[in-house]
Amino acid sequence: MMFWKALRQYRVKGLLILISLPALVLPTISLVYILWQGLPALNWQTLSGEGVTGFGLEHGMFGQIWGSLLLMLGANVLAAPAALGLALFFNLYANDNTQRTIFTLLHLLQSIPPIVYGLFGLFVFVHLLHLGISLLAGMIILAMIILPLLVLNALHALKAISVEQTESARSLGLNDMQLICRVWAPLAWPTMLTGQLLGMARALSETAPILFTATVFSGVLWPSSIFEPVTTLQTHIFYLAQEGGNAHVVSIAWGAATLLIALVLLFSLTALFLRRIDQHHRIS
Amino acid sequence: MPQQLNRIETVVKPVNTMEVEASRLCIDHLSLQLEGRAILSKLSTTLPATGIIALIGPSGAGKSTLLRCLNRLYEQWQGDITWAGQSIRNRDTDLLRRQIGLIGQKPAVFPCSIRDNVIFGLSRQQRRAIADEEIYKALQQAALWQEVEHRLGEPAEHLSVGQQQRLCLARALILKPDMLMLDEPTSALDPRSRDIIERSMMELGRSMPLLWVSHDLDQARRISNHILFMCDGKLIEQSDTESFFNQPKRIESREFMRWSVCDC
Repeated sequence: MMFWKALRQYRVKGLLILISLPALVLPTISLVYILWQGLPALNWQTLSGEGVTGFGLEHGMFGQIWGSLLLMLGANVLAAPAALGLALFFNLYANDNTQRTIFTLLHLLQSIPPIVYGLFGLFVFVHLLHLGISLLAGMIILAMIILPLLVLNALHALKAISVEQTESARSLGLNDMQLICRVWAPLAWPTMLTGQLLGMARALSETAPILFTATVFSGVLWPSSIFEPVTTLQTHIFYLAQEGGNAHVVSIAWGAATLLIALVLLFSLTALFLRRIDQHHRIS
Repeated sequence: MPQQLNRIETVVKPVNTMEVEASRLCIDHLSLQLEGRAILSKLSTTLPATGIIALIGPSGAGKSTLLRCLNRLYEQWQGDITWAGQSIRNRDTDLLRRQIGLIGQKPAVFPCSIRDNVIFGLSRQQRRAIADEEIYKALQQAALWQEVEHRLGEPAEHLSVGQQQRLCLARALILKPDMLMLDEPTSALDPRSRDIIERSMMELGRSMPLLWVSHDLDQARRISNHILFMCDGKLIEQSDTESFFNQPKRIESREFMRWSVCDC
């Protein structure tokens, strides 16, 4: 009797634990497996390429890290002002219909597969606008991909500001620019910065769009202008993984994957840390 | 600078005679619809030039909305509102809001020091040139000086809710408004803070009109010189406080005083 009573009491809890377990276990197993495969492959030789020969290994990985960071930073620099502008317009001037339209559009843009953005970038920026396979074309396409994320995050940051604070500022005669600079900016920047870091992590994790628009397999280590192509960690992994028969090359691919995960985690965890500080500040 | 606030030792008695003729705020057939619903319906009145005007009525009567129309936080109204003979539509919005201050129900302080909060509404040049005497005067008028005298550099969030509400008041007063609107400013406060604000407002009411939204009929009777009773977006009755409470003209007013509800 006691057993059945206990079972009834905890059945919902048990069921929820059972069905939520894969959500925790599978990513953890993946992460551990990647680190287990990748960490041994990471050493000065594979990073610098000194004394290493083989498919795609001669130049190490510094060039790819640099290329990934350049694309990520460029995309964020391009997307951030547009995202901020749209979020402010949304809050200050857009009527209900415009707000609904913008919201639908943002969710629509967010659901477009990245490969489609890549295809669009290839035809429009690379061919039609003659930008060629270049850092700039990649930055623009990545900026388009992360834009909805940044706008939605900025909207979330502004929504978190109390109506009373905005109304009080208005009642004191502050105009739109003063309201933005003196009230909204100091209150919203931690959340906005968090979104920016998440945008950086997202830009770092995209491969398909830059495969079409910005990257080459080799021949460029340190691009001298934004009109040159780059090599990146993401595409490097893609190319190396195609050499599945060569165990050494595949192990380097795991090393590159570990590096990429480390970079993405760096930005994601910093974002998480900032969010916690902000929440703690708001509560206290 | 004087180191101590001259406290208001006695409760200031409301001024009973009010010069309606000298009024500067006139509302003429004010109507407002929000999302297809009539919030204010052809509301007309003329506010006295000084004293506390209590705006009372049941929840949803449109009292707070009326305040937001008067300083143009809502713009989509019909009819006319004139301030010193000129339609407020033709006035500079930011300037109008400085002249007609609004204090909300919940105090909203900004993430900066107490001192910076007081001078928040001033322009950059004014903030640079502001004399400590001005800050002292505003805090004194808001009956907050004694409590913050030695902590002006502290974050305003550290103040209690009652102190924050008085800080909001000081922030509005430093702009030297011609009129103040208060939307249930004491509803979230403890009795002591409520009494302090009431006394300082009654003092202020001697020199400017204060439009005070209140759900508390006792408070309205205690502090106001004039009553505006609203229900369902309409102005039901307007009279001086004594007449309203002793001899209400409308049955709705009597019902409201008895049951705190209105059947209009």
